[in-house]
Formats: sequence, C-alpha cells, structure tokens
Amino acid sequence: MIEALLRFAIARRWVVLFLVALAVGVGLWSYQRLPIDAVPDITNVQVQINTEAQGYSPLEVEQRITYPVEVAIAGLPHLEYTRSLSRYGLSQVTVVFEDGTDIYFARNLINERLQQAKGQLPAGAEPEMGPIATGLGEIFLYTVHADNNARQPDGRPYDATALRTLQDWVIRPQLRQVPGVTEVNTIGGYEREFHVTPDPARLLAFGLSFDDVVGALARNNASVGAGYVERNGEQYLIRSPGQVTDIPSIGEIIVAHRGGVPVTIRDVAEVAYGKQLRTGAATRDGEEAVLGTAVMLIGENSRTVSRAIAAKLAEIGQTLPAGITADAVYDRTTLVEKTIATVQKNLLEGAVLVIAVLLVMLGNVRAALLTAAVIPLSMLMLVTGMVETQVSANLMSLGALDFGLIVDGAVIIVENCLRRLAEEQHRTGRLLATEERLHTVFAATREVFTPSLVSVLVVILVNLPILALTGVEGRMFRPMALTVIMALIAALILSLTFVPAAVALLLRGRVEEKENAIVRGARRAYAPVLDMALRFRAPILAGAVAFVVLCAWIGSRMGTEFIPHLDEGDLAVQALRVPGTSLTQSLEMQFQLERALRDVPEIATFFSRVGTAEVATDPMPPNISDGYIMMKDRSAWPDPGKSQEALAREIETKLEAVPGNAFEISQPIQLRFNELISGVRSDLGVKIYGDDLGQLLASGNEVARVLAGIEGAEGVKVEQVAGLPVLSVVPNRASLYRYGLNVADVQDVLAAATGGEQAGQVFEGDRRFNIVVRLPEQLRGDIATLSRLPIPLPQGGYVPLSEVATLDLAPGPNQVSRENGKRRLVVTTNVRGRDLGGFVAEARERIAQQVTLPSGYWLDYGGTFEQLQSASQRLTLLVPVTLAMIFALLLMTFGSAKDAALVFSGVPLALTGGVIALALRGIPLSITAGIGFITLSGVAVLTGVVMVSAFRDRLANGASLEDAIREGAMLRLRPILMVALVAALGFLPMALNTSTGAEVQRPLATVVIGGIVSSTLLTLLVLPGLYRMAWRRA
Amino acid sequence: MSTRLLLLTLTAFALSACEGPAPTAQSDAAHAEAGHDDDSNPHIALSPEQREAAGIAVADAGPAVIRETLPLYGVVAPNAERMRDVGARFPGVIRSATKQIGDPVRAGETLATVESNESLQTYAVVAPLAGVVTARHANPGEQTGDKVLFTIADLSTVWVELALFPRDVSKVRVGQQVRVRSTDTGHAGDGRIVYVAPFGSSNNQTLSARVLLDNAERRWTPGLYVSTAVTLREAQAPLAVRNDALQTVAGGPSVFVLGDEGFEPRAVRIGRADAEWSEVLEGLHPGERYATTNSFILKAELGKGEAGHDH
Repeated sequence: MIEALLRFAIARRWVVLFLVALAVGVGLWSYQRLPIDAVPDITNVQVQINTEAQGYSPLEVEQRITYPVEVAIAGLPHLEYTRSLSRYGLSQVTVVFEDGTDIYFARNLINERLQQAKGQLPAGAEPEMGPIATGLGEIFLYTVHADNNARQPDGRPYDATALRTLQDWVIRPQLRQVPGVTEVNTIGGYEREFHVTPDPARLLAFGLSFDDVVGALARNNASVGAGYVERNGEQYLIRSPGQVTDIPSIGEIIVAHRGGVPVTIRDVAEVAYGKQLRTGAATRDGEEAVLGTAVMLIGENSRTVSRAIAAKLAEIGQTLPAGITADAVYDRTTLVEKTIATVQKNLLEGAVLVIAVLLVMLGNVRAALLTAAVIPLSMLMLVTGMVETQVSANLMSLGALDFGLIVDGAVIIVENCLRRLAEEQHRTGRLLATEERLHTVFAATREVFTPSLVSVLVVILVNLPILALTGVEGRMFRPMALTVIMALIAALILSLTFVPAAVALLLRGRVEEKENAIVRGARRAYAPVLDMALRFRAPILAGAVAFVVLCAWIGSRMGTEFIPHLDEGDLAVQALRVPGTSLTQSLEMQFQLERALRDVPEIATFFSRVGTAEVATDPMPPNISDGYIMMKDRSAWPDPGKSQEALAREIETKLEAVPGNAFEISQPIQLRFNELISGVRSDLGVKIYGDDLGQLLASGNEVARVLAGIEGAEGVKVEQVAGLPVLSVVPNRASLYRYGLNVADVQDVLAAATGGEQAGQVFEGDRRFNIVVRLPEQLRGDIATLSRLPIPLPQGGYVPLSEVATLDLAPGPNQVSRENGKRRLVVTTNVRGRDLGGFVAEARERIAQQVTLPSGYWLDYGGTFEQLQSASQRLTLLVPVTLAMIFALLLMTFGSAKDAALVFSGVPLALTGGVIALALRGIPLSITAGIGFITLSGVAVLTGVVMVSAFRDRLANGASLEDAIREGAMLRLRPILMVALVAALGFLPMALNTSTGAEVQRPLATVVIGGIVSSTLLTLLVLPGLYRMAWRRA
Repeated sequence: MSTRLLLLTLTAFALSACEGPAPTAQSDAAHAEAGHDDDSNPHIALSPEQREAAGIAVADAGPAVIRETLPLYGVVAPNAERMRDVGARFPGVIRSATKQIGDPVRAGETLATVESNESLQTYAVVAPLAGVVTARHANPGEQTGDKVLFTIADLSTVWVELALFPRDVSKVRVGQQVRVRSTDTGHAGDGRIVYVAPFGSSNNQTLSARVLLDNAERRWTPGLYVSTAVTLREAQAPLAVRNDALQTVAGGPSVFVLGDEGFEPRAVRIGRADAEWSEVLEGLHPGERYATTNSFILKAELGKGEAGHDH
C-alpha cells in the first residue's frame, strides 16, 4: 500500500505539490482560528451556582439555599460530583461534570433544574450561574484611578464610591460588549447607596417604627403610566412621575401625621450618600482601589480578546472625566506573547541550525531546503489538526515538538535519494532520463522508508500511555502527546509523499553530492574506530551494560517533579489571616504588606483582592486576600540577571517581616487553577460525611490523631470550619410574651438596624442606586449599644433588645462545606519518606480499628493518592503492553526476533545519555523529561533500524558478515550523524534559552541532546559488535 | 535475556518519569503551622520598625477611673413639685385676666381679678410662685366656679421620667448621677435620680425613675424625648487596660504583654468595664506594658497557622 502511495506521489508529483499547497492554505486559515494561550487549561467542566442571601449566616444559607439547590441538581446526566460552600451571605454550589461534557448543554440542564428549585428558596434569593469561563478566563485586570486634583462635578474629590460608580456605570457596560468577554467582575470601592438612618430616639418620640419609614419610602417613589386620553383627534399619554431624584426629595417624604403636623423622613432620620456593607475590597500599592476583571468566554483566543479589551479600555479612557484613568494591571497578552516569542525563537533558531546541518552534510542546497521545508509544512498541518481536535497552542503542547524527529524521516529519504541519484549518474556517466530518475527516487525511498515509518510508529506507541492519563495530569499532558503524534503523522505523510515528489521534481540535472570535508573526516576517523569496536566487542558491550546499570541507579536517585513549574514572570501572594478577621482589618493588613514591598525596584505594581468580588467566582472570606505582584520588564531591573527564585525569596522575606499574615506564594494562573480545581490537594484526604458539625469536628480530630500516629505522616490538618465569631441574638419567648411582641418584630428591627433594609431605588439615567434604611453607624458600633437597641412596643414605648433576647458572642461555624449533598469535613495529610500506597492501606486499617463513627456518618478516602494510584495502575498495565507492541513492530519489520532485539537494545543506551545530561544540569525528572525519553527511544529505534537494515541488505546480497557490517556501517555513517546532529542542534536553542516559558522545554531538550550523543555512540560502536556477536554464534 | 533487561529498564524509566510523587505547596502550609506548636509560652518578637509599620501602640498598665453607665431613653416632664394650679378662693365673676399663657410671673404677682358672688368684693388672684403661665382658663366675664384658672410652672428645674426595665432596676438608686442629652440639639446636662417608683406598670413592664435636672437656661422643654446615661458606679480601679487591648484568645479575654522576648498573650480576668477601660482582676501586674491599638495584628500573628482557604 505504501509502495502504491510512493508510486503515485512520484508519478503525480504535481498533484502532490498541489495538495501540499492546499494543506498550507488550510493550515494558514486554521492558524487564524487556533486558540493560543500560555499554558494548557487544566480546569474541569464545572458550573458554579452562586446565590446571594443578604445577611444570612452560614447555617441559614445551607439550610435555606444550598440544600434545595443541591437537591435540584442531583441526578443530572454526566454529573461527576457536586460540592458546595455556605458562607455568610453566599451559597456556592459547584457542579462538576465528566470530562468532555459540553458546557452549554450542562448549563442548560442546570438552568432547567434551577427554575424548579426557585420556588423553594427564600424571597429575594436568586441563584445565578457563574461566568462561562475556565481557570484561564481572567485575562485582563484593570484599576480605576483618580488623580489627586481630579474633582467630581459637585467639586468633591473622587473617592472609592465615586470611582466604583464610574466602573459600574461607564466602564463595565462598555467592556461587556467586547466580543469574547463573558463577564466583567468588580471588586473594591463602595456601591453608592442612599442611606436613610433613623434615630431610634426620634422614632420613639413620634411613635414610629422602622417599617413605617421603609413603607413610606416605598409608597412615595414610583412613576406610573396611566394610559392615554383622546382629545380633538389627538392622543395624550398620561404618566405620573413620582420618583425621588436626590437627597432632599427623599427627606421630604412624609412618614406620618402627628396632631395635624406631617412628620417627614428628615424629621426622624438623616439622609446621605452611604457606603454599602461590602464583602470584598481591592487595594493597589498600599491604597484602596477599584479593580475590574474581564473574564474570557470559554474557547476564545485569549490574545485576541485581551487585545480587544485593551483597545476598548483605551477608547473608554478618552471619555472618562478629566483626571480619571483606567490602567491595565494584568494583561494576559504580555505573558502569551512572551511565551509564544520564546517558542518561536526556539523553533526559528532550531530550524536555522537544522538547515545549516543539512547544507553542510548533504552539500546540496536544493536537497537541504527541501528537507527543511518539511518543518513548516508539518507545522501547518499540525495547526489544522490542533484546531480540529480543539487543542490549544501553548507552552506545553508546542513545547515538546522536536524538529529533529520531524525531519528525521525526510533526512534519511533525501540522503538516500541523493546518494543513489549521484551513484546512478556516476555509473551511467550522464544525466538521467526522467523515467530513470523517477525510478531511482522510488527505489531509494522504498529502501529507507521502513526505518522512518517504524520510528514514527514507535514514538506514537510510546506516547499512548500519556493519552491514557486522566484528570489534571491528563488535561495537562494529553495535548502534548496529541501534538507530538499529530506532528509526526504529518511529517510521516510528508516524507512519503511530498519529499519523494519534490525530490523527483527538484533534483534533476547534475546532482551535486559533494562529500565535504566534515563527512570525509568523519569517515576517516570512523574506520579505525569501527575496527576497534568489532575487535573489542565483548569489553565494549560489558562496559555498555555497566553504564546502563549505573545510569539506572543515578536515575532512581534523581529528584522528581510531576508537573513542571511554568514561570509566569509575575507572582501571586495569597495572604491568610485568622478566621474572623474583619474586612477593614484585613484591608489594613493588606496595605501594610503592599507598603512593605514599595521599595523593591523590580516590582511594577502590587494589587490585591480582599474577600469576595461582586460575582463570587472565588468566594474568599474577608480574612483572605489574593495579591498580584507584577514585575517590571527584566531590562528595567537593577540586575537583569537576577533569577525569579531569588526575587521571590527576597519578596517573601520582606513579607514575612509584616506580622499577622501567613502566605502562599504562587503565580497568577497557578493560583486561579488551584482555586478552581480545589478538591483535596494533599496526598491523602479523609473525608467525613455526616450531619452534626460538632460531631464531624470531633470525629475529624480523632482521625487526625490516628493519622498523626502513623509513620510518614506530615502536616496533618483538620479543615477549618469553626472560628467565626458569631453574635447570636436569641429571642426570649417569655419576655416577648410579656411585652406582646412577636419573634419577627425583634428580628426585623435587628436586621434593619444592622444590615439595613432596602427601600427602593433612585434612578439617574441608567444608573440606579439603592435606598437603604439602616441604623446610624455609631449605634451599630458595639455590642453594648446593640444590646440597648430599642424595640418599639405595639402599645407605644419601647423595650431594649437585651430585655427580650439573649446576646451571646461565641465562635460559630465559619463555613459549611458539603460534597455530594452531605456535610463534609476533610482531614488532610502529606506523606514523606514512605510509599503512599502502604501509608493509605495502614491508615484505612488503623482508622477502621480506632475510630468509631456514630450511625449516619461515613468516611471516604481521596487526595492525590487516588490519581497517583490510578495513573500508576494504568501505566503498569500500559507500559509493558506498549513495549511489547514496539517489539512486535520491530519483529514485523525484520521478521527476526534477534534483529528486533538488537534494535531494541539501543533504547536503554539512548536513555543513559539523557539521564546523565539531566544529572549534569541538575534538572529533576518530570513529565517533560519523560517526553524527551520517549522521543529518544524513537530516535534510537530509527538509527538502529537504519543500521541493521543496511547490514541485512548486504547479507542478503551475499556479503560475508564481517564485510556486511563494515560496509553497512560506513554507508550509514552519514545519515546517522545527520539525524543525530539535526535532532541535537534543533534542540540546542531550547536547552539554552532562559526567556519566559523556556523552563518547561529545557528538560526535554536536555534529555534529547544528551541521549542523542549516547544513542549515536551506541549505534556506531556497540551495535556493529553486538550484531556480529549475535549472528556469529548462529 | 537482554530483552528482559531492556524491558525492565525501560519500564523503570517510564515509571520513574511518569509517577514520581507530586511535590505540592503543602510544605508552605506545614511551616506556617509552626506558629502555634508551642502553646505554653508563645512569644511574638517584633522589631520596633515592624511594630511601627503595623501600627501597634503600647501602654503601661495602671489604675483608671471606671464609669459604668446605663443608657436609657426618657421624656422631659415639668417638675410636679414646682407646679401650681391656681383657682378662685371665692367663686365669682372674673373681671380681668392680666397674664397670658407663656407669661413669666413673679411670686405674688396678680394674675386676674375676681368679683366674689357673695361679697361682691373684687379681689386679686395672685401667683403662688415664680414661674411661667402654662394654662389659662380664665376670661373676663366668666364664672370661676371650682375650676382651675391658671397653671403656673416653675421650669428652672425639670424632671426626666425614665422607664426602668426589670433587668436594670437593681442597678439604679436614688442619688445616682445622670447625663441627659438632647437628641435634636445635642445639649447635655447633668442631674440626679430623685425617685425610683416602688411599684411597676403591668402595661409595659417598667418601673419609672425620675431625674431632677437644672433648667435655668430653659433648654429642656417638657414633652420632648431625651437620651440619658445613668452613672451606676464610678470607681477607681487599681489596674485597668484599654478596651482595644482585649482580644479573645483560646476562648477567653487576653492581653498581649510586652516582655523582653516580645509580646506574649496573657489570659486575664475582667471586672468592671466602661466604654473605654476594663478593670483587670487577674493575669496582669501594674507597670507591665501591653499592646493597645492594633492588638488584633498580634492575635493574627499568633494564629496565622490556622488560617486556611478551604473550598
């Protein structure tokens, strides 16, 4: 079949070229649609359902909102699991679907179920789905900033409220129109509110209640359309505008009549602009800020979208009042462009080196360029493939591309064609006729296509176990394996069609095939070495085996890193404070942190989110803040050579000096991923399910004690569920009865007094601001004052709150976590210096023996160990299968187990070089290094097959074993050296580069370069001797 | 034979490359834990610069005056002991009425003249005390009968009627000082409790108490609502700390004491307290230095290991 393909390619060479041109066109078109990002998206398919419930405490949120929502969601198709969080004023249910579920389908299902659930939720609680975005969605962050001398129209300086108003009503609505933006989230500043703050004493004096004030506001703030009247053939519309417009008009609303005198709002209350009770705030460089976050729709191209946002923001900036600016503080384009630049640079430099090698070794410009053309052509075909399989271009997916391997097949074919054509011309002593030329090309290609086919198949086979990974690892590395496989298939197709066709077209006339000085020198040097290798084959083989064993030992002692560290260039600092820290306090502490870093010259800006933003995509309590430290461009650093780690350490030291905060330092995208994927991030998590929070905590502590007693446990932690100071106001029914009050009378006053009660809106064009009735700030201040809060009595007069209710300040539940519809508490631990499987088995046994759970409570084990277990189970099954398949492939190729084994023996020796190179550079083993080993095994098989098939050809032609080996080896010296040099030099820029993103590719390139050296040595020195030993005995 | 070796090594490589344990960020969390390992005597050492940057102020523990107060709402009422209803001694016809409502009168000043029905003599009705005419039911030509013609109130002192709730009754006694504050004008004045009712009202479950308030400047108008604060006790506490120094640590009130090694949380027992000061009964010695403003940061530093972000 392949021969037929070859024949067709050579005979219909123009058609082939046309098809290639077509593929180029499709590739270029696909390139426009290729999603480009810095890193692979590892978020699972999830939908967040957020429900705000003003003033509800965690327990009430769970009971009234979270539970009904969870019940409604249960049993959806493709549902993997649900988890939920109930916090003060917020319920968040995260619904995770199986991988591959269509997000819009999932959202539709949820929407349908939510409609049914709405009836059971308290009035005013409106469940909303989070933005249609992934963890990579937050692509653009900006702050709204006012100059010191900027003034509002009324002459006041811009404060946090005024800036927030601009953000909410000028900037945000416009940014939401940008295509590809699904949400613009805001945090920081205060939403403007009109506050009506009644003085309890005056209310008492007039015998009025809070409700009277709220009611009066509601009844005196509406515009009504009242139909129309006709008069003399004309039609008049009737409307009655009755909306309040400003503070004085609110003050004039009449609440009641007392003795014929109207009592207005102004008589009983102050009316003023006020600040909302907010759940989150933002800071920048030590000052309060208003921070906007543009969230990208799933599947969009982050570069395009963030460019469009930046352009729109600049446009909006023109229309903002004088002195107001909206600055981008985080723009994903920067990172993506830096990364893409790194990849491009590596690819370009690699390609140049590859072309140079080809030129030097082949001595034929046309042949060299033709071979090099395979690189861009296969890249374009790869792009088409990536768009079709929805793999985005990023560091990981492009990072493992190896041009060496891509052009290897073409190199061997072109080299052979060139040699055969030159020989043929030499033999006939004239230019070849077209027919002869085509035949020679066909014969030359057929001679060597097996090695390239086999090597590609080997690499594909070795990549299969990676495709079997699931979860985060799968999402991270599957695109990488897919890309490699697609690129190789593209290269294979090209080298079997385009390459022979182009050779047939281009290499006519006198074929220049100069044996240049380098190749001649190499041949001269190789001849005596080959003699030596054949003579001392036994010691060399023994040395090689010893070397493999040594490297295996080195490899087993190397550090490991599962997921490589992607350097984003910027830092994220999550500052954690004790639960219960107030927003104001937390904000103050954040200011201190930001001020501490003011004099670090490398930092461009430091901004943070404290608490939860308006759209609760990340529901942080107020005691936690996410800080982003944006670095200046390296050229602006005092010492541009300073490493990122050194800088991070320096920053950490400075931050540690500020008391009261604990930190986790990571990077912006990494942080977001961690928050979204969440789940249990430790090695082992014991989940306890049950109803009673106290019992859960007690059992959790018991489990923690057992775990801590097991050898290897480190950092045993019980999930923080308690610790939020809660002031419980428990109504005393006996005294309520004495005063003739209802429980609700007390609760309503309390809620209105502390939280405020919304009583309509004030409209200013599109802008709308809430009118809130609330107690004056000085009366909400402390518990003593609150305990004297006057509760109006039905018969007139009042009673203080403490008279009819007990005020009790005690720590209460901070949050209620649930998973799969049940309350859950997690005890986590890491395992050090011991195998995880054994630890988990012992933990299960010990917990089963020593911890007794009440009925209705159960345990579940989760954590990284699950993934590790499933991954290693898959791999222990798949790796041998893969190896067997490779062997079978070689067996099929040679029809001889001995030859197959001989070629196969090249693999471990090839790997040794990789291990040594890693060890020399001090790079730990990681998946990317693993991909390098995979590539290496492909190269090793390729060169082995090239070599062994040359021996076999000679043997088949009747040569003696010794001669066959000697001639074959000398003949194949050039292609093997070329393959080696192409692969090694192609990766050289990648191995040496230090710009953004290079750290992911470095291990891969290092392994390949090191391995190529050892593999080439093996093929040239060990394999001939081994072959001789193997066949001499037979 | 060599094949098996190859298989083994390749497997070893593939596995070691693919399933190494994932290093995670937990080590950070683990050393953040160190803060509360040693519960017995944790010290928070801060350099003076750190203290200043964190805004932590320090004060010496010492005596303070603690003024316990009870806030109550009240209504200004005329002093009933300084009010007089004036009638006609002998029934008759009013011939003239010289004082209008609101007129100030001196003691003995004529308010009206009445012609007695029996003697047909005209006599003067005079003010029994200095004050203001607050009511007049007398016009020339009217029969006096038994009715009250004038009400004179002496407003140089007023009463503030307070409603005491059962919980507060035991605390309030005659003679306690009371600060009265007008909700509208912001005027304030001091008076004393002169009366606590011996019986309560079943209607609103309160006892009434009465404050005598000087009103020489006529600021206090009867009928208006006022806020009051009854000073229950005013005592010199031998040892007291500022309220912003108190933090809840391990379920009880604590004060951060500055020693040689840094700040140390000290559990204290709190006695009387007012809006500013709290008396310390146990746990602190006079002269020790303790953190006042921003002491929460010390609590945060102490407990930062517990901070976590769990979803």
